[in-house]
Amino acid sequence: MAYTSREAFFAFRRSPLLTALSIATIAFALYTLSVFGLVWSNIDRVLESVEERVEVIAYLVDGTDPAETSALMREVAAYPEVDSIAYISKDDALARARVELADYSALYEDLEANPLPASVEVALKRGFRNADDVQELATRIARFPFVEEIKYGEDWVQKLDFLQNLSLFLGLVVGGVFAAIAFVAIGATINIVLISREDEIAIMKMVGATRAFIARPLVIEGFAKGVIGAVLALVLLTATYSLLEQRVVSLEFYSPLQIVAGILLGGTLGAVASIFTLHRHLAVW
Amino acid sequence: MILFQNVDKEYPRTGLALADVSFHLRKGEFMFVTGPSGAGKTTLVKLVTMEERPSGGTVRVSGYASDRIRIREIPRLRRRLGIVFQDFRLLKNRTARENIAFALEVTGAPPEQITPKVLRTLAAVGLSDKADHLPSELSGGEQQRVAIARALVNDPFILLADEPTGNLDPKVALDILRVFKDINLRGMAVMLVTHDRTLLGEHPRARIIELDQGRIVRDTAGDGATS
Repeated sequence: MAYTSREAFFAFRRSPLLTALSIATIAFALYTLSVFGLVWSNIDRVLESVEERVEVIAYLVDGTDPAETSALMREVAAYPEVDSIAYISKDDALARARVELADYSALYEDLEANPLPASVEVALKRGFRNADDVQELATRIARFPFVEEIKYGEDWVQKLDFLQNLSLFLGLVVGGVFAAIAFVAIGATINIVLISREDEIAIMKMVGATRAFIARPLVIEGFAKGVIGAVLALVLLTATYSLLEQRVVSLEFYSPLQIVAGILLGGTLGAVASIFTLHRHLAVW
Repeated sequence: MILFQNVDKEYPRTGLALADVSFHLRKGEFMFVTGPSGAGKTTLVKLVTMEERPSGGTVRVSGYASDRIRIREIPRLRRRLGIVFQDFRLLKNRTARENIAFALEVTGAPPEQITPKVLRTLAAVGLSDKADHLPSELSGGEQQRVAIARALVNDPFILLADEPTGNLDPKVALDILRVFKDINLRGMAVMLVTHDRTLLGEHPRARIIELDQGRIVRDTAGDGATS
């Protein structure tokens, strides 16, 4: 164990420039990844709050039997995608219109009869607030004969859907590209370490060191570089965040759990890249 | 100990390196393997260390057979072999003592055993006073002694040397041969690969296997792989 830990950290002293360079590459890759992740998660958060307002409104024919309305509500409430359902009576609708359209209050003052229809408002559960599911639900509710009209904002539900898919796609593509860069960078530095230690490794093989023994310090080295790179990326990210926060827009930062996960991700990336490179080098015995 | 049975070794690009080689090296034996360059001597060493596998026939070394050994068993086999090369293969940034200790460290020896074992082995090759010298501060003969000490420190059953005197002048070469003879006298088998015929005359009782173009053309024991 003494050998393993000494060797793992010896690399940092032996080739400080190379080590610094590889940590910087990892830090930059993870930094870009995390900036994108931050933007992505904030777009996602905005989208989610907009999404919460996705609902299907069914306007009812005047004079609909309350028993029929209750039957509709019971049935629709039982659909798996439905989160909540509310009945808005004609009076409720008028009261709401008076509040929301206060500027036009004069219009409602002298009404002899209430012109607004009663309606049922259906909110969807998370995961069902996309164009297809909303349309599907609207079509089903429209089948009730006493439903006069259905509204669910087809257009903006579709746009929202598109935006969210786009941000997910970009997140995966850009994130994947930078993860690959970090992976290659770590692999390349381990490769250089292996080449610079060719003699030592040849001697180790000759005297009977096991493959695991030779690999262990290098895997630890890769993990350590990944962790240091991730911490450096975090420092840069924090600086960028406060700059954006002050000058541009208010954003939500990563949670402590996400930060720990990010640092572990850096370490894991480093270790896996090392194992991958070692596997090629130590295939011949 | 080491048994070659009708061993062929063919390389895809250079062709047949060894053809129908059979011999049995016994416990405590001193064996020269000789022949001109390109005769297959180094291939033979690589087959013993299982760095290479035969194209035909079987190599058996200390209970491991070339056709059945798994990659993860090879380190265990190597610990039973002490290997010495022409170019010493010492780590330049480590002292004599550290080079020898390295072989123990990387094979997981208990730390408290390392120093006494290293000092004992250094004494056995007559280098106690040079323990803290770097390879660059040692002569060629001394460097080879360090390499021999490193090969011995894991208590192998055989010392396997590939042209150990190739980089040394004749007088130093004889000194090194003497070290091998001493080690052999203490009961350890030695397989010394050399193209230098003058060494053979210095140890008349040793067994000689002579290779030419991949075949055994002379074996002074003359029993092939029969025993």
